[in-house]
Amino acid sequence: MAIHTGRGIASIEYPTGMNQNGDPSQAWIKVKPDGRIDVFSGTSDIGNGSKTIQSQIVADTIGVPYDWVTYDNSNTDSSPVCTGTFASRATFVAGKAVLKAAQRVRERILEVAGQEMEISPEDLEIDDGEVMAKGAPTKKLNVGDVAAAATWGHGELITGTGAQLNPYAAISDPTTGEVDGVPHAAISYAACAAEVEVNDETGEIRVVNLTQAYDVGKAINPALVEGQIEGGAIMGLGLGVLEDSYPYYPSAEHRGGDFGSYYNPSSADLPELHNIIIENPSADGPYGAKGIGEMSNNAQPAAIATAVYDAIGVWVTELPITPERVLKAIDARDAGGGPRREGKHVIFDEELSINTVGTGKTWTAGV
Amino acid sequence: MKAVGARLPRYDGVGHATGRTVYVDDVRVNRMLHTKALRSPHHHAAIKRLDTSRAEQMPGVAAIVTHTDVPLLTYGHLSALGIPADEPLLASEDVRYKGQPIAVVAATDTDAAQAAVDAIDIEFEELPALFDMRKSFDDDAPQIHHWGTIYPHFEGEMNVRQIRKGNVEQAFEQADRIISGVYRPAAIEQMPLETQVGLAVPEPDGRMTIYSCTQALYFSMGVVAAHLQLPLNKLKFVGGTVGGGFGGKVDTATETLCALLAQKSGRPVKWRWTREEEFLCSSTRAPWHMEIIDGVTSDGWILGRKMLTLHDAGGYARFSPYGVTKHSFHHTGAYTIPNLHFDGYVCFTNRTPTSAMRGYGVTSVSFAVETHMSRIATELGVDPYELRLKNANRIGDTSPNGIRYMDPSTVDVLHAIADATDAELAAPYSDATREMREGEWLPEHLVGQLSHSEDH
Amino acid sequence: MNIVVNGNNRTVESPPLTPLLHVLREELDVLGPKAGCENGGCGACTVLIDGAPRRSCLTAVGSVPDAEVTTVEGLGAPESMSDVQQAFVHYCAAQCGFCTPGMIIAATAYLEGGGSADRTEISEALAGHVCRCTGYLKILDAVAAARDGNFDLSTTAESPHTTVLT
Ligand code: FES
Ligand code: FES
Repeated sequence: MAIHTGRGIASIEYPTGMNQNGDPSQAWIKVKPDGRIDVFSGTSDIGNGSKTIQSQIVADTIGVPYDWVTYDNSNTDSSPVCTGTFASRATFVAGKAVLKAAQRVRERILEVAGQEMEISPEDLEIDDGEVMAKGAPTKKLNVGDVAAAATWGHGELITGTGAQLNPYAAISDPTTGEVDGVPHAAISYAACAAEVEVNDETGEIRVVNLTQAYDVGKAINPALVEGQIEGGAIMGLGLGVLEDSYPYYPSAEHRGGDFGSYYNPSSADLPELHNIIIENPSADGPYGAKGIGEMSNNAQPAAIATAVYDAIGVWVTELPITPERVLKAIDARDAGGGPRREGKHVIFDEELSINTVGTGKTWTAGV
Repeated sequence: MKAVGARLPRYDGVGHATGRTVYVDDVRVNRMLHTKALRSPHHHAAIKRLDTSRAEQMPGVAAIVTHTDVPLLTYGHLSALGIPADEPLLASEDVRYKGQPIAVVAATDTDAAQAAVDAIDIEFEELPALFDMRKSFDDDAPQIHHWGTIYPHFEGEMNVRQIRKGNVEQAFEQADRIISGVYRPAAIEQMPLETQVGLAVPEPDGRMTIYSCTQALYFSMGVVAAHLQLPLNKLKFVGGTVGGGFGGKVDTATETLCALLAQKSGRPVKWRWTREEEFLCSSTRAPWHMEIIDGVTSDGWILGRKMLTLHDAGGYARFSPYGVTKHSFHHTGAYTIPNLHFDGYVCFTNRTPTSAMRGYGVTSVSFAVETHMSRIATELGVDPYELRLKNANRIGDTSPNGIRYMDPSTVDVLHAIADATDAELAAPYSDATREMREGEWLPEHLVGQLSHSEDH
Repeated sequence: MNIVVNGNNRTVESPPLTPLLHVLREELDVLGPKAGCENGGCGACTVLIDGAPRRSCLTAVGSVPDAEVTTVEGLGAPESMSDVQQAFVHYCAAQCGFCTPGMIIAATAYLEGGGSADRTEISEALAGHVCRCTGYLKILDAVAAARDGNFDLSTTAESPHTTVLT
């Protein structure tokens, strides 16, 4: 028995927003008579932290303290459309909707403040809840007083709406896949280096380290970005070496119906994690942000599969890389298995191919 | 202090840490009924007889809903994207996967509901089933879906999602090596800690309030409104606080049936799936089958790629055509490959319909492409970083469908992990940038794709 | 029968074989413990019974007459959070929050039993508590730091696992 160490890398990209776009998000914001801010958005918080992220965006865009902002995504009577929390769109697409609504609110605050202060709105700015004359910060009026003036003096409600919709990019030629517009809101990039230990007697794999770099554009809340990276890392690890709804695919039997018989990662599977957050602002994300919630579980399986090869010289390309598959691959290796080589062709995994398993379709390098 | 960029605590953190956050299962209303479903015990069968009359007489039963009670039985959740409807809310003529719902019962408690489910008279005739997507094209494959074994409604009524770019044949002729591999990631569970749950409450003004764990309030409200044929002002979705989703809670799994049972009984109806139902009957990530054939030069340029993708949709299409289209747009990974020939199919099998999960459509291709890249590096004896940095997307390169990349950062993320793991990169790879290709970064085969791109 | 829940005497009408989780949630309206699986597999329902962490979904209420039951609500209210609760907030150790009530109970029992700040030992103590969101790292870090107390809840902890490149 020996434990072999191996390393592997993977480098990936992933789109933000629904593929081909066409996925609206809307928001509206109103200001209470004391200047406190109510945000209404239809974005579900599934743990990703969109309540927090969107509140942060609103606070800075209007220019008020974070704790002035309340956020309501609780129902469809008060909140406008949000296509939903998926497709890594809650920060970027829905975040832009609240950003635009907050910009309108800021404009309205400045207009009312301008009348109160008898200064043109262009010469005013808002910071930390105070409207100030640019260059003369002693001339100021609290946003609460502006809201009170609007409510009790001007007979107005300070409010603003915002909507974000990247136009649908249709497939203009289905034979080539050509599209008539940009089919994503942004693209994010990431890379992962995995280190594994493989036991050549039991076939067990231990993922020892995942070092991962993510271009997040701008980390609106670094703690929440880490949450996505770390949660995704373990999910990717599960996909790589543990989880399988159909352990004997194609058989649809033997599914695990409870936590004991479906192998999901536990805290004992946690490797050392090193998160590298790269801030390369996107041209039009809110504060330069991009979505990374989903891509965070995409790079690990390939990095792990490569590390397994580095450790013991076998490629396992059916996931998860279970001990059984590792041991079978070791046996095949020892029996002299490997890719078929013919001229300049190197053909791996023939036994898995549709050419071997199916009869109705062939698929080869001959085009 | 600026909020953006700050490590602020979660808006809902204190609620979570003190057990005060209210999830759907924590909502309390009076006279609430509980739901159980009659689900298919077979992978594929015709329904010969369905009779609920005996079950209706069981103690505690308030309402039973079958396919005959649904105003619009079959609604396409992505009909707006041109994906036609194929999946009935409740099975009527046949069942195409084990666990498919056929009838639902609302009763005073779950035991009473289950007893009534057990009392529903039903007869099946088992039919041949198909489980391996690689056999979808076989002449003798059982035709398990009314559309056949392959989804036939991509644009132009094609049964395949195609990408064609450049000339793969020529690229393979010029290649020093042609390397093929097969990649098969498994179906896995989204597995949120909160199982699927919904609660529909009829209101005295004729509206219906639906407490939902959906990831998408308006999307799910649209689904319920369509099945019930109601205008949106008759519905109010309450939610926004979800105990984990990961894609599975885009399915609108409970809400519509709760609403129908609530309409029929005039009482609030809740349906919380057991963990077993969550594991066995809720959608999974799809199993994928990918075959990649790359023509490469001996120093590590990828000249062309031919790729076949099969996506196991399970019994119905759900979002699968969307997933395969997204997959096709990203089948080159983070690299620029000028000659492409991609065919992607949505294959029907008799397993639980697969659905969205984190990284939908692309998690599969990231695994396939990156493992293939590693194999190419090993075969050619080229450093794995160098292989990737060479082919990495750069500003001005074009995507599989002709979109110009404006700001790719593959080079940056690769440099970052190389640095962090003490991998030594030699020049020129250590000095690579994202900037437009020129000089040694612009070999002959990449010139064409630069000029033909649209500037987006 | 009677049980004491978070310091309050409560009378239980449910039959003795009813799972304690069901009694807490459906009869007594104590909603902190979550029904993640009702089969002992996830830990979301964990409560302290006379100080020891127990899966309330597997505990028949009749087997714990007169017991002192503590749920996450009983450890501290929003304005009076325990150190472990504060640590979970400060370390951003909850995402969707559904596993959190059980995690916090298990962590509290571990620390009150003299558990150390060693990551492996904490991980063992929390084994069998499933979290699908966080990847566990922030939970382990929160538990390791919890005993120090005095958390600044206006911000979250810097992560020793992260490098930011701008
Ligand atoms: S609900 Fe008790 S362990 Fe899951
Ligand atoms: S925070 Fe969602 S399961 Fe742990």
